[in-house]
Amino acid sequence: MRVVLVPHLLALGLYGLATALALAPFAGLRPAPRALTLGLPLAGAAAQVVGVAQLTPVGVAPVLSILALFLALLQVVSERVFRAPAVALFTGPLATGLVALALLLGLGPGDAPSAGGNAWFILHVTLSVLGLALLALAFITAALYLLQFRELKSKRFGAVFRLFPPLERLDRLNHVSLVAGFPTLTLGVLLAVGYAVRYAGGMHVDPAQVVWGSFTWVVLGSAVWVRVVRRWAGRRAAFASIAGFAAVLLVYLAFKLAAPGTQRFL
Amino acid sequence: MSIAVVGVNHRTAPLEVRERFAHAPRDVATSLERLRSAGAGGGVLLSTCNRTEFYIAEPAEAVPEAVWAILTERLGDGREASAYGYLQRDREAVRHLYRVSAGLDSMILGESQIQGQVREAWELSKAQAGPVLHRLFQTALSVGARVRSETALGTGAASAPSAAVALAGKIFGLLAGRTALILGAGDIAELAASCLASEGVRVTLVANRTYERAQAIAEQLGGAALTLDEAWDHFASADIVLSSTAAPHAVVTWERVAPAIGRRRGRPLCILDLAVPRDVEPAVGQLENVFLYDIDDLQAVAAHAAAERHREIPAAERIVSDEVERFWAWYGGLAVVPVLKEFRGQLDQVRAAELERVLKRLAHLSPQDRAEVEQFSHALLNKFLHPPTIALKQAVQAGHGYSLLESLKKLFGLDRQHGE
Repeated sequence: MRVVLVPHLLALGLYGLATALALAPFAGLRPAPRALTLGLPLAGAAAQVVGVAQLTPVGVAPVLSILALFLALLQVVSERVFRAPAVALFTGPLATGLVALALLLGLGPGDAPSAGGNAWFILHVTLSVLGLALLALAFITAALYLLQFRELKSKRFGAVFRLFPPLERLDRLNHVSLVAGFPTLTLGVLLAVGYAVRYAGGMHVDPAQVVWGSFTWVVLGSAVWVRVVRRWAGRRAAFASIAGFAAVLLVYLAFKLAAPGTQRFL
Repeated sequence: MSIAVVGVNHRTAPLEVRERFAHAPRDVATSLERLRSAGAGGGVLLSTCNRTEFYIAEPAEAVPEAVWAILTERLGDGREASAYGYLQRDREAVRHLYRVSAGLDSMILGESQIQGQVREAWELSKAQAGPVLHRLFQTALSVGARVRSETALGTGAASAPSAAVALAGKIFGLLAGRTALILGAGDIAELAASCLASEGVRVTLVANRTYERAQAIAEQLGGAALTLDEAWDHFASADIVLSSTAAPHAVVTWERVAPAIGRRRGRPLCILDLAVPRDVEPAVGQLENVFLYDIDDLQAVAAHAAAERHREIPAAERIVSDEVERFWAWYGGLAVVPVLKEFRGQLDQVRAAELERVLKRLAHLSPQDRAEVEQFSHALLNKFLHPPTIALKQAVQAGHGYSLLESLKKLFGLDRQHGE
């Protein structure tokens, strides 16, 4: 357990520090050097990789931990590639909170996947969680876009105006994360179906899960469709992204309320 | 040895005076040669729209007067240039240049253009600068860079044109490759259009009632000219609209531009209305994805940034003070060897004269005894000189040797100029 807990506690501390640095300019403090705002989440992610490598990715806690890891990595990519450090305002607390929640739930090994299907299962979990993280990033950039849009439209030139990235950059980051997140999640779900049929003796899924899962997929697909095919951009596209991720989140929470437990993620 | 700055700036002289003092690059060498003829050891001329300053190394008494003479000639109306200027010496001259380079002495606090102007001045004057000013300007550039990297003195848009660029930048990110539609062809429109063009914006269209002037500006900026009536359709494609006509009422109305803006498919449009009275009807700003800013908004952005920059002044001044002391320690170190040499030489002359006088009175001494007496005089002089020499060298190493050197020069009348 120590090899799982210590890296997670280290990651928790580093993500917490990175969050504090991201929030500091809004409290009137000087922005931290880029080496720190990039280095802290990266160091936290490195520590977490060590912990996650010891886990079997079954159950809520390990999946939350992997989700936090992907969010931290996406935060670094957003800042390094898209020069959008404000993303850390959301990803920072989210990653910190998810690691804390995973630790509270207990980072045990969980049920092992069926023999022979380990690689398939790990790929399914990795792609699904990466897809979720990308959709969360699309949601975050959409929220940042709408906040910056409101400030610019209402001519308020305060901290949001100064510290948030330009609208166009947020829109591009939203586009990239949504367009990458949807097929990644879809592939992750297809791998789950393949795994169930091939290694777990068939699909044992509640019909409600199929119906609501399909509904979520359609909502997300619509958000991608209006962006890519109808060439929506800006505010309308931001609302579509928010609707897509909100559908995923609400349906998941509804399932967990209907069938509580931490042994299975879904 | 000393350094001086003689000149005028935006605080001491009005624009009408400053523009007469401004030197074209081709005139710099001539003016600096005149200063060298008047006894300057080296000189650099910094000439911008806000200042004309001569930095002088080893200035003889006549050099400041020579500067005022050069500037008075440029005024050419009987007024004395010295009435508009200042003279600062030594540490204060160094501090002045460092503050200039850091943007602390600029009309718009923290503006970065001055860094390039300081570099240009140094490069133009390199042949006449000499080693001390060479070092001074090199360090001034690094002080400017240090202030900008370690404080937030240069952040934000602190002027209306830069606020316009900043606002457009907050919508589009990089402005290079964007297109701008300029309404109006007056001086303000031309200035703002140049500002956008310098950011890489393609100023493709200039529309105005006086088509010929619009065409002239458009050609200058590599764009195309339109009449005002042709402009409305371009609201569908332009990224930025900059309006500065002299119309007494709003020319950009909802009725004229709403249909074109409706065809933008959600792409944002930034409208910068620089005219007073305003050119753009406020209702246009209510259209989806239209960001409308007038001159008051630009000034609000600029004022906000200026207030932020003012908060950084103490930190920037601390950096300047540190660097002045560092330069002065180096400068003091330069002077110590020739001054000590002269000090020793002067005392040795006294020793030799006194020895000669004594030996004349003691003519009965044997050559051996005479040599002993001479040896004694050398030893006595060395004993006397040892403590002050060590103290002076230690003071130089500690960074406060210059004042001690000056005292030494005054006490022993060491007035000779020392080369580097």
